[in-house]
Amino acid sequence: MTPTPGAPGAIALQARGLTVHRHERWSLSSGHVLRGIDLDIPEGAVVGLVGRNGAGKSTLLRALLGLQTVDEGSSQLMGCPSTALDDAVKARLGYAAQTPDLFAGLNGYEHLTQMAAVYPGLDERLALALATRLDVPMGRNANALSLGDQQKLAVVLALAHDPDLVLLDEPVASLDPISRREFMRVLFSARRSEAPRTVVISSHLLSDLERVVTHVLFLREGRVQLFSGWDDCTECLRVRACAEAPRPLPAGALHWSAAQGGRLLLDMRLAPAQAQDQPLGMEDLMEVLNT
Amino acid sequence: MAPSPVPDPFELNPQGSTPLYRQIVEQVQRRVAGGLWQPGDELPSVRAVAERHAINPMTVSKAYSQLEAEGVLERRRGVGMAVAPRPAGGTATADRLALLAPALDALVQQARQLGIAPGALQAALQERLDQEDTP
Repeated sequence: MTPTPGAPGAIALQARGLTVHRHERWSLSSGHVLRGIDLDIPEGAVVGLVGRNGAGKSTLLRALLGLQTVDEGSSQLMGCPSTALDDAVKARLGYAAQTPDLFAGLNGYEHLTQMAAVYPGLDERLALALATRLDVPMGRNANALSLGDQQKLAVVLALAHDPDLVLLDEPVASLDPISRREFMRVLFSARRSEAPRTVVISSHLLSDLERVVTHVLFLREGRVQLFSGWDDCTECLRVRACAEAPRPLPAGALHWSAAQGGRLLLDMRLAPAQAQDQPLGMEDLMEVLNT
Repeated sequence: MAPSPVPDPFELNPQGSTPLYRQIVEQVQRRVAGGLWQPGDELPSVRAVAERHAINPMTVSKAYSQLEAEGVLERRRGVGMAVAPRPAGGTATADRLALLAPALDALVQQARQLGIAPGALQAALQERLDQEDTP
């Protein structure tokens, strides 16, 4: 049974068997960009989407938004199929693409006016407050903005209509650390609605994600490798030196990594602890999961 | 007039091996158990703590809710969170010592890794304590 939207435990974003084949005319290689992605992201979650370049992060976000044709499987945003998002759902949705979709000849104010025509819920005061906090030069044409300022403008536009669900693809890659901090504050503070905002954010800046995420989604070669609450990862996941890959993996073992002399990733809720077990931060965890 | 909240005292380390909400829980527990914060003292709001540290407000709520469930804090209508009235006699030494357990475990583990004998560790600790006594 699907919980009612807005009720505790409601699912903001769901995927079942989402698969995208690789179609490259110029390449003989075949394969998958996404393979059988299953996801249930609860309302109010802030999910860090983490993976190496080419793991499928952008394709996943685009598929969830219905911008990428999928070969198999399906997904839903706030109960509405990604391939047929209605206006009511679109009005509650914010997205910033990895390469900001801006109009070269328009300045920040003109972008807002354009958006206001499409989104009746756009709150100009909220948007301008966001722009001020992020220090976006709103009067300058988009093509005259630095990449960092373009990204900031794209974030302002993604949040300007106070969306309930926000998908952000590498939104802060070109921002300086001060702007990135302010961006993280803005994610939570600039809200009119009391409803918890659900956020999916892909980033390689894992120390930023460690501050704000409730969940992490590790993607590797188009598959979900680990989707978990981040507090659970910190409290329960440990790494242990282990030279040879144990076969089969013992109880509680999630992954064996060959790098660094061999390491075993363990879930302490299922595996007995040993003295040499080490806790690991998000970067360590990403390295273990990808080697 | 209501007393203003205590200034945000939290020192948070997002890269630490302890989750952020746990860090907040432990720091409040220590300040309350040690008497630094008295019953009725108001905590900084969820929003204020989240803003200052650029963290998710839900993390702060999670910590405060857990402290409320433990009876360390109480929710006040319209005000936010305050330190709960303490049971008579204050916090027993045993309870305060229990809060030091993680630090003690880490100390013992590091001493073992360094091959320091228990007697030498005790002596070093005593020396440190004696230093602290003389201002």
